[in-house]
Amino acid sequence: MIEKKVKIINNAGLHTRPAATIVKIASKYKSEFFIFKDGMNINGKSIIGVMTLAAAKGSELKLTFDGEDEKEMAEEILDYFNRGFDEL
Amino acid sequence: MKIDNKNITRKEKITVEYFFKYAKDNFKLKSFTGKIGLNRYITEQNLHRPGLALAGFVGLFSYPRIQVFGNTEISYLKNLTEKQRKSSLKKLMDFEIPCIILTNGVKPFKDMSELAKKRNIAIFGSNLSTTKLIYYLSDFLEDQFAYRFTVHGSLVDVYGVGMLFVGKSGIGKSEVALDLVERGHRLVADDVVILTKKGEGIIMGSGTDLTAHFMEIRGIGIIDVRSMFGVRAIRFQKRVEVVIDLEIWDSKTEYTRTGLDSSTVSLMDIDIPYVKLPIIPGKNITVVSEVIALNYLLKHYDYDAAKVLTERLKKKLETKNSLNDRIIDYFEHDFE
Repeated sequence: MIEKKVKIINNAGLHTRPAATIVKIASKYKSEFFIFKDGMNINGKSIIGVMTLAAAKGSELKLTFDGEDEKEMAEEILDYFNRGFDEL
Repeated sequence: MKIDNKNITRKEKITVEYFFKYAKDNFKLKSFTGKIGLNRYITEQNLHRPGLALAGFVGLFSYPRIQVFGNTEISYLKNLTEKQRKSSLKKLMDFEIPCIILTNGVKPFKDMSELAKKRNIAIFGSNLSTTKLIYYLSDFLEDQFAYRFTVHGSLVDVYGVGMLFVGKSGIGKSEVALDLVERGHRLVADDVVILTKKGEGIIMGSGTDLTAHFMEIRGIGIIDVRSMFGVRAIRFQKRVEVVIDLEIWDSKTEYTRTGLDSSTVSLMDIDIPYVKLPIIPGKNITVVSEVIALNYLLKHYDYDAAKVLTERLKKKLETKNSLNDRIIDYFEHDFE
């Protein structure tokens, strides 16, 4: 299991488009992917779930990846977060 | 089946302002001190009657609790001289108490409100008796400080039975929920369900304020069940009574055949009936879910089909008449 902390760095926060992209990336992999924020542990393969987080700029999220391809999954998703969802 | 119980949380504190907003509407609480002390925090769900603290014993004073002044406290304070009363109240208000509530429609003494204003402590009043007010407030505070956690699943009210569908993403939880709604059942939440422990033995489920009754159906996108199917298709909360775990049929897993050995799953230390439901081609999960709900109701009303059949078989074995007869002995010219 891989555990990583990330920060939302783009101005608009984690809105619908990046949420959909995250879910799309996550669904390519077999591993489980969870996002934790404010006492809520959300399945990262569910678009409604990721939107529920309502993560604004500056929020900190804890991501966990668990499964056979967790390494590749973590890499691609972290990269997407760190690029500010390509909105920087 | 794993339902992750590790992310259980509870509120650590609520502000007095938040508390007052709800108590004002629901329990007709009124304020004697305006905006004073609303920024203080309540950190405990229990209430406290400060009789002993007023009398001077503050050794084990539960000061972080809401202080309720009932008849005992008020008549004690009435019996004191003004000077004694001031010093008694001062001693109490030197502690970091969240707020004070007076019951039975009593108004605060003048010196009491002045002192409270100085110390930034809110005083509220209620026309209810102490016992009643404590009963109402305890329930409210217990709910506020209750343990809760979120699960990935769908919660649907099926014939009045709260059914929580869990399973890997993409297995079809939302589709089953949608199908059930289409058949007249009611959706509580999809994808993100917040479970709250209520008392000892009850789990309540509800959606979040942002996404309740919204749903993602693969290939369509996001839909709003409430505006699509109307108010009859939704509800805000439901007790979780059965957990259904959907999974792809696995020939190595043993699935229950008789239903005699019912299993449970632990949600925040409460055991909830649990059914592992394998998905195979040709199986209508929606109808099976309805049957599980109806069977749950039958059991609730004291009829357990598996036990009844077991009993029948036992009787048959006892008669030593192993011949399996038709249910009708003789088709008496009735060829319908």
